[in-house]
Amino acid sequence: MPRIPQKKSREIALTAVVAIVLIALTIFLGSLKNLQPRHYIQLTMDGIRGGSIYALMALGFVMVYSVTGVINFAQGEFVMLGAMVCITVNSLELPLPPAVKLAVSIIAGIVLTTLIGAIVERAAIYPARRSPPVTLIIITIGVTITLRATALLAWGADPYVLPAFTTLALEDHIFRFSGVTLQAQSLWIWATLIVVLILLYFFLERTILGKALRACAVNRRAAQLVGINPSRMSLLSFAMAAALGAIGGIVLGPATRPTYDMGLMLGLRGFVAAIMGGLVSVPGAVAGGLVLGVVENLAAGVTDPTYKSIVSFVILIAILLFRPQGILGGGERRPEES
Amino acid sequence: MNTRRVSLSIVALLTVAGLVMTGCSCPAKEGSVYKIGFNSSASGSYASLGEPEAKTAEMIQEQINKAGGIAGPDGVQHDVEIIIYDDETEADKAASNVSRLILEDEVIVVVSTTGSGQSIAHISHCQENETPCISMASAKPITTDPNTGNEYKWMFKTPQTNGHAGEWQADYLSAIGVSKVCILYTDDGYGADCLANFKATAQAAGLEVVYEAGYTKDDKEFSAQVAGVEASGCEAVEIGSTPPVASLATVAVRTAMPDMPITLGHGVCNQAFIDTAGVAANETVFPCGKVTVIDQISDDDPQKAVLQQYIDDYIAFTGGEPISTFGGHGWDAVWMAIDALKSLKDGLSLQEQRAAVRDYLENNIKDWPGISGTFTFSAADHNGLTKDSLLFVTVKDGKWVAFPESEW
Repeated sequence: MPRIPQKKSREIALTAVVAIVLIALTIFLGSLKNLQPRHYIQLTMDGIRGGSIYALMALGFVMVYSVTGVINFAQGEFVMLGAMVCITVNSLELPLPPAVKLAVSIIAGIVLTTLIGAIVERAAIYPARRSPPVTLIIITIGVTITLRATALLAWGADPYVLPAFTTLALEDHIFRFSGVTLQAQSLWIWATLIVVLILLYFFLERTILGKALRACAVNRRAAQLVGINPSRMSLLSFAMAAALGAIGGIVLGPATRPTYDMGLMLGLRGFVAAIMGGLVSVPGAVAGGLVLGVVENLAAGVTDPTYKSIVSFVILIAILLFRPQGILGGGERRPEES
Repeated sequence: MNTRRVSLSIVALLTVAGLVMTGCSCPAKEGSVYKIGFNSSASGSYASLGEPEAKTAEMIQEQINKAGGIAGPDGVQHDVEIIIYDDETEADKAASNVSRLILEDEVIVVVSTTGSGQSIAHISHCQENETPCISMASAKPITTDPNTGNEYKWMFKTPQTNGHAGEWQADYLSAIGVSKVCILYTDDGYGADCLANFKATAQAAGLEVVYEAGYTKDDKEFSAQVAGVEASGCEAVEIGSTPPVASLATVAVRTAMPDMPITLGHGVCNQAFIDTAGVAANETVFPCGKVTVIDQISDDDPQKAVLQQYIDDYIAFTGGEPISTFGGHGWDAVWMAIDALKSLKDGLSLQEQRAAVRDYLENNIKDWPGISGTFTFSAADHNGLTKDSLLFVTVKDGKWVAFPESEW
């Protein structure tokens, strides 16, 4: 059994102490508000649901950042586009049974958003590829505003409705057990995250293209020397980020009422989750998203929910100050500047 | 330069001057153009409220153009130009739009804006520049200085207040035997005003407010608020929000507690609420402006004719878009402004025009049947409505139905 270095053991002890203090504080505050165990279960479950979406968003941030060194602030808009395109196709008069029509709309939402992601990369990022990352980041902010304004023109400002996947209606099926409620859509969201992770694993570990993408993330210059085209990898990373965003938006759609400006809030939370994961780590991004979702919901539940949105940004600042490598570590690696 | 060229130039100058002078001495029938500034939240999170307001303003502009402008008491005909801006539901944008309307566009009267917080943000521009402003938002501090309790001299508003809505809710909840209530609200100007008024009216009616919690207008997740409601043991929930977040909060409460009575403010009286809340909207109760329940209004109501006219015009103008109370708030504000402009004599300076419009609004809008109610402004009341300007409704099978006291 390897000896744990002293520094490492001190770190573990510190983390444990902080965790115990936070849990004790949560239970104390919750008891003041008369919360029952079932409330904690409910808050955690709903937190995991929100967290799964943050995780999908964070994966998009990680994809683009690790390959290109750019924080793609348009990530939230991909979520909005996925949901909106899916809703639009679903509302068309097609001679198809509702379930098939929904499946077609979902595929259309993902494919079209992926295409938009690729177009964004070619039209806005590729021409400026020799600029420093800061310039590219500001370009993504411009892309964000463009996409959101276009969405306002295309879909107007009204909230839209995407039918729940289980019932194919506005009202979802709700499971109830001893005071805890669970929407069937939550199961779809969890299942989607798991499937996406499995597919991503196989793509990154088992395919040449996936390995090329990883090689490019590890060292762009070296990847180029062995014949990998970094510009093509940048295109691929944007397309994948757009697809991940669209998937998140579509599965979240029935649980919310999508609007043209839904990307802003989700994008920021996804960014916080990615930072929590250290910005270049896939498991870190998933852990970051799930932890953020649960912590945010529990903190809101035991304190005043009015201040819920503060939680994620307090976490962001704390992580950047005390643990910039991410909650799982391994995030110190930065993409090489080209 | 030779003499000939100088004399030629003088002749040319004189000709131009002569032309300009003939232009000036045109017949006095056409007076100056009256400019009305209009600012609403046609995009951003209040877009479902602000868009019908902006469309109503465009519609009135078209109607006035067709009528060939308006005539003053001296018979002089004036064109009316409505300058329309969008503040994107941002308070700073609202303030800068209003300042631009007053200082650069030099409008006589401003109609602004959709949201309460955004309206409050531009009070100082109206007050300091002595320009009458009519808000389409409902919070009390828009027209009443919270420090002195007096009405701001230059601020007016057309919607029914959250106090009127709170009175209806408290009366209803007492009638069905509730004693403990929870209040959920959006953490913005409208929601904060709902909270203050719902709380005050509930307590005045002898109800105990056991839990209150807010959320932002972008929130998608309400389990924290729902857990709080459940743990507090209240018997009814009052929600002070506008769609879509009002729909999500209603769905969340309904999902966890299907039998909990839910009352809302009049911010949900648009089709978007029913469309996005679905079955969860059924059995919810809230007070609404009469325009949304026109078929429930009796023919002897003084507002009936105005309401029907507005509905027909709006549907014809927009090609069948659903009617909301918010467009009605805009209709009231713009027509009040136009009525005040009609009272102006020709030849006043801009500042005199602004002062005259303000005085007209305060002194001459009496028993004025509008969309949001029958208005009677006075120096002590720049809203001019009572609780009866709202009709209490419930949702049955996705439709608004009048819910009078006899059915509680």
